[in-house]
Amino acid sequence: MRQASLLFLVRRLVQVVPVVLAIAAVNFFLLRMAPGDVADILAGQMGHATLEFTQQLRREFGLDQPVYMQFFYYIGKLLTLDLGRSHLQQAPVIDLILDRLPATVILMLTSILIAIAVGIVLGVAAARREGRLADTLVSVTALVVYATPAFWLGLMLIVLFSIQLDLLPSGGMYQIGAGRTGLAHALDVAKHLVLPSVTLGLFYVAIYTRLMRASMLEVYGLEFITTARAKGLSETTIAWTHALRNALLPVVTLAGVQFGHLLGGSILVETVFAWPGLGRLVFDALLQRDLNLLLGILFVSSVVVVFANLAVDLIYGLLDPRIVHK
Amino acid sequence: MNGLALFWRRYRRNRGAVAGAATLALVVVAALVGPLLYPVDPFDMVGRPSQPPFGRFPLGTDVAGRDVLAGILNGARISLVIGILASLAATLLGVLVGAIAGYYGGRIDDMLMRVTEFFLTIPSFVLAVVVVAIFQPTVMTVTCAIAIVSWPSVARLARGEFIAQRDREYVKGCRAIGMPDWEIILLQIMPNALPPVIVVSSLMVATAILTESGLSFLGLGDPNLVSWGYMIGVARTVLRTAWWMAAIPGAMILVTVLAINLVGEGLNDALNPKLRRR
Amino acid sequence: MKASTIFTMAAAALIAAAPLAGAGAQAPKKGGTLTYTYQPEPTAISTLATTAVPVALISTKIYDGLLEYAGPGLDPKPGLAESWTVSPDNLSYSFKLRQGVKWHDGKPLTSADVKFSIETLALNYHSRGKTYFGNVTAIETPDDRSVVVKLKAPVPYFLKAFQPSETPIMPKHAFSEQEIAEKKVRQAKVMQEPVGTGPFKMKEWKKGSHIILERNADYWKPGLPYLDQVVLRVLPDGAARAIAVEKGEVDLAPMTALPPAEIQRLGKLPSLVSSQAGSEGLGPIMWLETNLREKPLADLAVRQAISLAIDRDKLVDVIWYGMGKPARGPIVSGNPNHFNAALPKLEYNPAKANKLLDDAGYKRGPDGVRFKLPQNFLPYGEEWVRQAEYIKQELGKIGIQADIESLDMGGWLKKVFTDWTYQITSDFHHNYVDPTIGVQRAFLSTNIQKGATFNNSMGYVNPKLDELLQKAAATPDGPERKKLWDDAQKIMQDDLPVIYLIEIGYTHIWNKRVKGLITNGISMYSNWDSVWLE
Repeated sequence: MRQASLLFLVRRLVQVVPVVLAIAAVNFFLLRMAPGDVADILAGQMGHATLEFTQQLRREFGLDQPVYMQFFYYIGKLLTLDLGRSHLQQAPVIDLILDRLPATVILMLTSILIAIAVGIVLGVAAARREGRLADTLVSVTALVVYATPAFWLGLMLIVLFSIQLDLLPSGGMYQIGAGRTGLAHALDVAKHLVLPSVTLGLFYVAIYTRLMRASMLEVYGLEFITTARAKGLSETTIAWTHALRNALLPVVTLAGVQFGHLLGGSILVETVFAWPGLGRLVFDALLQRDLNLLLGILFVSSVVVVFANLAVDLIYGLLDPRIVHK
Repeated sequence: MNGLALFWRRYRRNRGAVAGAATLALVVVAALVGPLLYPVDPFDMVGRPSQPPFGRFPLGTDVAGRDVLAGILNGARISLVIGILASLAATLLGVLVGAIAGYYGGRIDDMLMRVTEFFLTIPSFVLAVVVVAIFQPTVMTVTCAIAIVSWPSVARLARGEFIAQRDREYVKGCRAIGMPDWEIILLQIMPNALPPVIVVSSLMVATAILTESGLSFLGLGDPNLVSWGYMIGVARTVLRTAWWMAAIPGAMILVTVLAINLVGEGLNDALNPKLRRR
Repeated sequence: MKASTIFTMAAAALIAAAPLAGAGAQAPKKGGTLTYTYQPEPTAISTLATTAVPVALISTKIYDGLLEYAGPGLDPKPGLAESWTVSPDNLSYSFKLRQGVKWHDGKPLTSADVKFSIETLALNYHSRGKTYFGNVTAIETPDDRSVVVKLKAPVPYFLKAFQPSETPIMPKHAFSEQEIAEKKVRQAKVMQEPVGTGPFKMKEWKKGSHIILERNADYWKPGLPYLDQVVLRVLPDGAARAIAVEKGEVDLAPMTALPPAEIQRLGKLPSLVSSQAGSEGLGPIMWLETNLREKPLADLAVRQAISLAIDRDKLVDVIWYGMGKPARGPIVSGNPNHFNAALPKLEYNPAKANKLLDDAGYKRGPDGVRFKLPQNFLPYGEEWVRQAEYIKQELGKIGIQADIESLDMGGWLKKVFTDWTYQITSDFHHNYVDPTIGVQRAFLSTNIQKGATFNNSMGYVNPKLDELLQKAAATPDGPERKKLWDDAQKIMQDDLPVIYLIEIGYTHIWNKRVKGLITNGISMYSNWDSVWLE
C-alpha cells in the first residue's frame, strides 16, 4: 500500500511538470497582450521622459528582444527555478513573493480552519436535527452568507467592529512601530487577523456547512449506521466517529479546491483590509505591468494548487481505504 | 402542459424556492421598468453629495451628489444582464466541450480535460481580473471574462452526463441507423443531459453577479454604466461617514444572489427529483 | 576664477533659522517617531530608480542634495556645498563642499561623489537629467572639496537642479564598475539599501508593511535631526489610511495621500492640520489633453465650447472636495516668479458653448448628439473616474457624447503618448520650480515625439510660441524672462491646445503635535531634519 502510494506520488509529480510549464507559457503570452510595458510605466512615473530614455529602459530590461526570445529566456530560467527580477521593484521576484507569502498563508490557513471547523460542527449539528428549527436556522444562515459578496461583508464588519464599536483594527497586519515581540506581537497579529479571516472564511463556512449536512444525511442512510445503532452505540458516538469519517470526503476535496481559490478571494479581502499579502501584490503588479512579478506569483500559485490537489488525493486514500490509486 | 404542471408541483413544494422566485421577479421588474418610472440619470449630479436616505432623495446621494436610487435601478439591469449573459456563454461553451469530450472519449476527451484542468488551476477571480485588465473593461470583456472562468465546471458536469448516456441502448440504436454524431449529441443525448446542467447554470448566474461586483469594486467595470459593485467601490471612500451608501447596493446583491440560489434549488428539486438536495 | 556672487554662511544661516524661530514658537523638542503613510509603497530608495512620489518622499530624508532651498520659489542656500560662485557669463559654477561630511557607512564624502552623481547618475538615469545637465561640458574636481561645473550655454534654473529629489548625491563607492558599465545602476544594491549623507538612515524595510528610518547620529548639522525615527506605514486602502491618521496611529499623510473625501472630513478635526502649502516648487496642474489631429478637436470653436461647458468651481468643490482652484493657464497661480496674473478666468457658460457649436455648423442629430468624442482619463484613482463621469455629463448637455474608456496606466500611456489614438483625456503635470523644466515640454512643437511620456501629445504647433519658449529657456530669470513667459501664457490660453481644468492642490494632513513641516516649496521632498514632535 505504502509503496503504491509512493509510486503514485512520483507519477503525479512527473505529470505536474508539463502542466505547470504550460500554465507559465500561457500566462506569459496572455500577459504580453496587455498594452504598454514596464518601461512605459517607469517613464510615466518619472514625469516627462524622452523616447531615448524609455528605449534605454527597454534595453536594460531586455524588453527590446523579440517576444519569442524573451519567452525562451524566461522558460530557461524557470527550469532552474529562477523567477527573474521585478524591473519596477528592482528586486528578485522570489524575494518579493517570499516577503508577502507568510501574510497570505496565515490568512488562508486561518480562514480555511475557521471554515472547516465551523462548517463541520454546524453541518453535523444540522444533520442530526434534520427538519427541526436548529436545522432550518443553520440552513437559512448558510444560504444568506453564501449569497453575500465577501468584500462587502468585510466593509460592513469594519463599519460595525472598527468604526462603531472600536473593538478591532480595520486594517494592516500589526501595529507598526509599536515594537512588540514574542507573545505580544502574536496577540497583536491575531487581533488584526480576526476581521479579514472571518470575512474570507465565512463564505466557505456556508459551503462546508451545506456540504457537511448533505454528506452526513447521505451517510446516515447507509447500512452500517443502522448496524451501529442496533449495537446500541450512542447517537453522539455514531455522529462524531462512524458517520463523520465517511462524510468528510467531499469536505477534503473542497478544501483542496478552496486553497486554489483563496488567492483570488484574497485579492478583494486583502484590498479591503490592507493585508500585506500576495493577493494585493498580484493586482498591483498587473496594473504596473510588472510582468515578471506577476508571472512569478501566478506560477507559485498554480504550483500550490497542483500540490493541494495532490495532497487531497493522498488524504482521500487515507480516509477511504476503498480507493486504490491506479 | 402536463410536464409543466408536474414541474410546478415539485417546484412549489420548496417554499424557499417560491419566495426566491417572487423576489427575483421583483428585481427583474425593477430592472425592466424602474428606470422608466424613475427617469433620473444615475450619473447626473442632482444634489449635495453624501446625503442620507429618506431625505430629498429616497436612497440619498453618493459622493458626487448622484441619486443612489437611480443607480440601484440601473445597476439591477447591468448586474442581471451580465450575470445571465455570462452564465449563458459559459453554459454553451461548457456543454459543447463537455459533450464532445464525453461522447467521443479517448484522446479528444484527454485533451479537452487537460484544457479544462488548466483553467481550474488558475484561481478564477485572478484570471478574470487579468483578462479584464488586459482587454480594458467593457460590458463585453467583463461578460467574457466571467464566462471564461466559469465554463470548466459546466464542462465537467456535461462530460459526466454524456459518459453516462453514450452507451445506453437508445444511443446505440441511433448509431445503428446511421444518425450523424451531431444529431445524436444535440437531439438525442442533450435533452437527457440537460436538467442538471440547467440547475448548475442557473446557480452560475448568482456567482457571475458576485464576480461582476468584485471586478467593479476593484474599478474593473464598464466606466459608462452603473453597477452595484461599482456603487460599493464609490462608497468605500466615505465608509466612515456614510456607511449606508455601501450598505444599500451590497444588500441588493445579497438579496438578488440569494433569490437566484433559492430558485436554483427549486429547479433542482423539480428537475432532478432523485438528486434531492445535494 | 572671478566670483560674481559670494554667499556668506552667516546670511544663509539666518534665512534658514527664520521660519523655525518665529515669534512665540516653542523650543523644538528632541526625540520621537514621525509616522507617515503614502500609497503606493516605494519601489526603491532613490529617485534615480524612479522619481515617483513615494520614492521621492522617503529618499529625500536619506540623500542630501548639493544645496538646500528656502521659500516657495526655492531660493538656494548652502547644503552639502557650503558656498558657491557663479561666473559672470553664467557658464561656470564652482561649489565648495562642507568639511567632514560622512556617508552612512562612515566613508567621507568627496568631490568625486558629486561629479559621479551628476555626470554618471543624474544625467543618464534621471528623467529630467538632460534638462538640467544637458548643457554641461565638463565637471572638474581640483581637490576633494571642490567641484566646478562648466556649461556650453546658460541654464537659467541651474541652481535649482540640486534638490535632493532631482539630483541626489549618492556614494560612488556603492556602485560596481560593472553596474555602471552595463548601465545596470537601477539594480545596484544601494537602490534598496541606501547609503546617504542625510539626517536619517535606513533601519528596516518590510515590504508591503513599513519602512523605518532612524536618526543619523553623525549628521553634518550638529544637534539635528530632532526626530529619532521616521516611519512609513504602507496602507493600501484609502479608508484605512484615513482611520490611522484620525486615530493618531499615523502622524502625517503627505501629498494627498488620503481620499479627498476623508481629507475634507479630517481637515475639520481639532487634532489635525490640513494644508496645501509647501508644494509650490512642484506646481501640480490638471488639464484635458485634446488630440489636435482629430477633426472636431482641430477646430478652436470646439475646444472653446468644451472649455465653456465645464464648471471648474463645481469640479473643485464636488469631485475634488475643495482641493485646488480653477486653472487659468498652464502655470499655477502659486508660482511666485512666473505666473501671468493678467490672464482672465476661464468662463463657464453652456449656453455660449451651444451657440459656438451651432454657429460652427455642428448640428445635433435626432438624439441630440452633435458628435461623439471618446474620453480617457488618467488612471490615478477614484476622483479621476468621477471627474470623467462629470465631464461626460456636462459635454452631453452641449451635444457632445463623451463615452468613457477605462485603461490602466500601461494602456493609457500607450494610447496617449505612443499611439496618439485618443481624443480627449485628463492629464496632470508638474510645473516644477521653473516653467522651462515643467511647462514647455507639453507645448513646444519639437516635443511632438511618439513614445516619450508627458510631452506634446496633442500635436500642437505654434511657431510664435516655440520662439518665445526657446528664448525664455536661455534668458536669465528676471523681468525680461517674465515678459516672455507672460506672452507665452497668453498664447497658450487663447489657443487652448489643452482645456485647463484645475490647479490641483497637494493636501498634507498632519497631527498637531508635528511641528516645522512646511519650510519651502518642496516641503515633503525636504529632509525634515528640523521637524519635531510636541
